[in-house]
Amino acid sequence: MIARIRKALGPIWPEFFHQDTKLLDPYMTFTNYRKIWILGISVLIATSLVPLLVVTIIHYRLLEKSVDSELRLRTERLASNARRAITFFLEERLDALRFTVNEIGYDRLTDPDHLEEILRNLKLGFGGLTDLSVIDHSGKQLAYAGPYNLGGRDYSNQRWFIECQQHSFYVSEIFRGYRDVPHVIIAAKSFRKDGSFFIMRATLDTERLIKALQSYETGAHAHIFLVNRSGTIQTPAKQHGEIFQKMSLPVPDFSRRTQVIVTQDDKKQALIIGYAYLMTRIADTPFILMVVKHKAGMMQVWRQLRSNINWFVGAGTLVILAVIIITCTFLVNKLYHADKAKAEAMAMMEQSNQLASIGQLAAGVAHEINNPLALINETAGYVKDLFVIKQQYRHDDELIGYIDDILDAVERCGMITGQLLGFARKFEVKIREVNLKEVISDVLVFHNKEASYRNIKVCVNVPEDMPPIKTDRAKLQQVLVNLVNNAFQALDDGCLLDIEASPKGNDKIDITISDNGCGMPEENLPKIFEPFFTTKEGNRGTGLGLAITYGLVKKLHGDITVKSRLNEGTTFTITLPTRIQEESIENEGVTGR
Amino acid sequence: MKVLLVDDEQKFAKMLAKRLELRGIDTDYVHSGEDAILKTGMSSYDVAILDVKMPGIGGLELERRLKALAPEMKFIFLTGHGSKTDFEAGSALAARYLAKPIRIEDLISILQEVTG
Repeated sequence: MIARIRKALGPIWPEFFHQDTKLLDPYMTFTNYRKIWILGISVLIATSLVPLLVVTIIHYRLLEKSVDSELRLRTERLASNARRAITFFLEERLDALRFTVNEIGYDRLTDPDHLEEILRNLKLGFGGLTDLSVIDHSGKQLAYAGPYNLGGRDYSNQRWFIECQQHSFYVSEIFRGYRDVPHVIIAAKSFRKDGSFFIMRATLDTERLIKALQSYETGAHAHIFLVNRSGTIQTPAKQHGEIFQKMSLPVPDFSRRTQVIVTQDDKKQALIIGYAYLMTRIADTPFILMVVKHKAGMMQVWRQLRSNINWFVGAGTLVILAVIIITCTFLVNKLYHADKAKAEAMAMMEQSNQLASIGQLAAGVAHEINNPLALINETAGYVKDLFVIKQQYRHDDELIGYIDDILDAVERCGMITGQLLGFARKFEVKIREVNLKEVISDVLVFHNKEASYRNIKVCVNVPEDMPPIKTDRAKLQQVLVNLVNNAFQALDDGCLLDIEASPKGNDKIDITISDNGCGMPEENLPKIFEPFFTTKEGNRGTGLGLAITYGLVKKLHGDITVKSRLNEGTTFTITLPTRIQEESIENEGVTGR
Repeated sequence: MKVLLVDDEQKFAKMLAKRLELRGIDTDYVHSGEDAILKTGMSSYDVAILDVKMPGIGGLELERRLKALAPEMKFIFLTGHGSKTDFEAGSALAARYLAKPIRIEDLISILQEVTG
């Protein structure tokens, strides 16, 4: 499953997440790529997303503020317009009443027929009047014109009568009164010639008032209604209360001008209230005009806009995040791979250099040993000569035997230093005819002792008719040393190592090195030629030996394959061309683990 | 047969010269190329045995110079390196070479071979 996702993601799969470069760490420029990745993403997010979010929030604030003030302004304007309309309605009728009472005079007004005619004319001219009546200074109704028969009533104790006496004009609240129909009374006081006063009263139709108010209502979220100064509802007020009941909102403070306040209703919903205490030029009225708007409803457009912005910002953020993560992962991956490749090359180079310098050191040591060795040789040889040639000790076989021992030892040393020198001569690159049998026996020289100690049987089988091959002897030697070393490490005491060579077609040969040692699990086989792959525990293996071997075989234009079974053994097969061109081989001195 | 042995390892040269003398080969030995040239000027030798690596004049250079002095002289080389490469890289006229430590029998047989 993970492998499939990995394949699908390709270069953006974060391979550095499971960084396994312990052996390479000294050569890596950075050791914690996960940290670099997180740092990179954080910095990019901080520099790209944070400004976006801050700007969005500032934009929200500004937009909300402007929507809010626009809302206040509109409420105020609506309240102002409605106030003017209602004030004008009342003023117009008060003016008409004042004009009538002053113009027509007491005598004619108290004539019922005449009053009836005045009512008819006023209805025609202004409308909204239901009836007219004239009351004398004692509160007694003198004349009445209208649909209700209210003649002869005494109003002396009524509040409107008392107030009108004091202020000359009066506008009542809306009330039901005797006739049980909501109405408003307006009244004007005038004087008779004898100095006593009389009052003319008109009843106004509330229908027109309510209609006038309702005509200003716009949308479902704005309510316009009248309350009296103690908060009793005068015209239908929807959810703010029943008519003639206390409204659910607090009574706003007195103000001559239109005001806007923001408050909350009993459900904790924000309300914008525009209000005005209604006062005509002629008389104060008991009415407060209320314009109530539900902020939430009015803010719907804003909320819609905000949700659109939110979607846009959210989607944008996701895209930016995705781009940041993909870019970061891709770049860090590239960096990681480059760094790893560099570290691998450096580690390999160091290994090669180390091995090369060990080779040089060995050559130096061998060279230095050679001279004293030559001297021992000559001195001992001379002593022997003395014995043999001078005849004096000619028959002392024991003495001669001892000297022969010295000479044998020197000869063996000479052989070893000779081989060491030949072996260390890695820098000579020469394509020449190579006797495979000789190369194999040279390689095995260094393992003869170990093999005999550990009772490992080494079989070499190179057919006599094997064609000579033309190749780089030093490289071939290194390849064989590495593989034989590996085999010796895998073998238990008393096991078998088999080296065979055979021609393959006309221009190739096969060399197989098989052991019956511990073998390898199958899943490791594809990886064993990779650098730094090792199954050796602790610090025993660098994981470079087989990688170098592979490289060397490739340089010899050959091929190397491996077959292995756990606990049964391993077989390496090297296929080499019998002839290779000199110029195609690079010079390099490396040997095995 | 008269042999000139040139080797900077003094004791080695002395011992080898003694061994050759024991075998009836008249041997002079010197420790540098300069001395070898002087010696050659003074007397004639059939064969020169030269160490390849010496301070001052090396074996191969010495061969060239001695050849000029005594064109009939044969040469045998000794090397501490134990490899053919020194010779392959050097003079094609080198008759024979021997790797140190040498077997006296090998040296004798080569001497006989070159002097015919």
